[in-house]
Amino acid sequence: MTPRLPTEPRTRASVVPGTLHADVALAVAGPRISALLLGAACVAWTATPTVRSGWASFTLVISIIAVVAGALRLMLADVPEPEDQYFLSVPLRAWLWFLAVLRVPPWEEVAVVMLVWLEVIHPARPWHTFALGAGLVAYLLTVHIAESGTKPSRLLRSHAKILISGACLMAIAAGTAMLPAGAPGAGSALLRVIAAIAIVLAAALVLPS
Amino acid sequence: MTALIPNDPGTLPPAPTPGPAGETRRLPDAARLSAAQRKEVAVRWTLSRHARRLLTLAAAAVVIAVITRRVEFAGLAAPALLLLGAGRPSRPAKLAVRMRPTTTRLHEDEPAAIDVALDTWVSPGPDGARAGAEAGADGRGAHEVRWILHPGHGVDADGATSVIGDAARFTFTVPRWGKRPVGSVEAVLHDRWRLTEGHFTLPLPSIDVYPHPAVQRTRVVLSRLPNRLGEHSARVPGEGTEFTGVREYVPGDRQRQINWPASTRRGRLQVNTFAAERSQDVVLLVDATSDVGEPGSSALDLALRGASGAARAYLDARDRVGVITYQWGGARWLAPGLGRRQVYRIIDAMLAADASWSRGAVLHRLPRAALPPGALVVVFSPLLDQRFVEALRDMRERGFALMVMDVLNVDPPASRFSFVDDIAARIWRMEQQAIRFSLRELGIPVVHWDGVSPLDLPLAPYTRRPVVVRR
Repeated sequence: MTPRLPTEPRTRASVVPGTLHADVALAVAGPRISALLLGAACVAWTATPTVRSGWASFTLVISIIAVVAGALRLMLADVPEPEDQYFLSVPLRAWLWFLAVLRVPPWEEVAVVMLVWLEVIHPARPWHTFALGAGLVAYLLTVHIAESGTKPSRLLRSHAKILISGACLMAIAAGTAMLPAGAPGAGSALLRVIAAIAIVLAAALVLPS
Repeated sequence: MTALIPNDPGTLPPAPTPGPAGETRRLPDAARLSAAQRKEVAVRWTLSRHARRLLTLAAAAVVIAVITRRVEFAGLAAPALLLLGAGRPSRPAKLAVRMRPTTTRLHEDEPAAIDVALDTWVSPGPDGARAGAEAGADGRGAHEVRWILHPGHGVDADGATSVIGDAARFTFTVPRWGKRPVGSVEAVLHDRWRLTEGHFTLPLPSIDVYPHPAVQRTRVVLSRLPNRLGEHSARVPGEGTEFTGVREYVPGDRQRQINWPASTRRGRLQVNTFAAERSQDVVLLVDATSDVGEPGSSALDLALRGASGAARAYLDARDRVGVITYQWGGARWLAPGLGRRQVYRIIDAMLAADASWSRGAVLHRLPRAALPPGALVVVFSPLLDQRFVEALRDMRERGFALMVMDVLNVDPPASRFSFVDDIAARIWRMEQQAIRFSLRELGIPVVHWDGVSPLDLPLAPYTRRPVVVRR
């Protein structure tokens, strides 16, 4: 993972510092705050009801740290680093170390894995999982919008068909999970999982690029 | 990973015309760089952060679905897999980039720019796709390109160092003379879905930065000038334009030179006489041995700026100007010549002398071509090297007309509270004064130049009238 270059203007606001208008500030801060809120919502959604098994507390703490760190990374994305890094003061070195800790690790990936695991250690609740999937996809797309500066309307317009198809597939999977197994035994459940994956792959292949 | 296409920048072949879909095409923004240097670069493609996140979600959900046999988690992977599968971006393995600096030579602190632009996609990627396949006919929109300038050492970027677009212009200045590498430009290509990122780095060419020439409008002219046509009025009569006197007419004189008022008064024909106009040989002697002082205003900086200003001034007066660069007992020289190009030859010679230690020639054994007899030798030196001072004495004893521009503007560092340092500094100052006094005693004018004021100010006592030099 490459750390972000300090000099690259992430958004329009960073190109001309000091001339930040309200609409531009909102366009910059909106996706970042939305990403934080969506991440927090996903954490809250998976953490309730509280369970005590499967390292739940540890996973919850890590997911909270990852979501907060990812949000901080987005907030501090425009902070530049000094070009000359020799003979810096201790506070400045500590600040640079903090920025590196924020910018280098893949916090969003960690958060996603932790949240999925939190969902796994709960008893089966298909529609709850469906909502979590929608929230996670929204979280990742919001992080992408905040990082790249893409207009949300443009991105959603281009992704609309795919997102609707994905939501349908998630709904089918959730509905399938609610049906009783056709025959008792582990083989039947595994067969359903493989069938669901095959449907997803087939949909991915037939969708136009 | 770059391969330079052997093309003269000024005679590039015409760009390839747009062909059927998938063939080589030119992006429109690159048209204005038609005379630029064209390079093929290999592109390294990687997954973007966005794609890695989607892949993580899909992989985690599928693995958990298989392990726990819970179908709903397979559905959780569906949107991420669809997003990953829908965007099948074209990934050209190579592409052509045009690059053109606005100038290859500039002076210190003079703004310059370098233009870079995507030109054509030259080869398909591993999947056989070509860029532009998913965009319009002009190729626009297939990829978004972000250019990032990494300035080289000693190069200051003036404007933005990151630009998004098919072409970019980066402005920069170089605060100190020398041959400076401009740096490199890193380009990051994003596909329309931002699932893959292509990276390549374009090394930028080096640029010759000339010292900022000092201002000099007046010139030192010797009283004895060689018998060569020029613009300086000599003491001998000739065909110039400056009136020198009246004499009696002799057969063969031009009638237009008859001074009728004087002829009427004296009763005999009188003609006007004029001074001959001659040029002189000027040799600039630059002492590159000692570079003391702050970078940017060191003795060598001032010497080079003064020498380039003097070269311009004397060449503007149609004098023949050459240069000798002295360095640690050795010397490099450029024979005196005429014309505007000689300015650049002189500066190039000075910069080349700084780049390497030259031990070939010796100052007191230079050929007549490098140091013509009767030439005016203008010396730019801090006079810190004793061998150089001895060489000046030797040249004066051989009859050359010397003029020393003292470019020493710093004292050795000394502690204000150390008695020994104070004494050492006083001894050093007295020694420097003694050196300058001994040169003046030999008939070598020594003038101090601070590097800020025009050269005319310290040279004022010597530019009002021709300088008489005793051989």
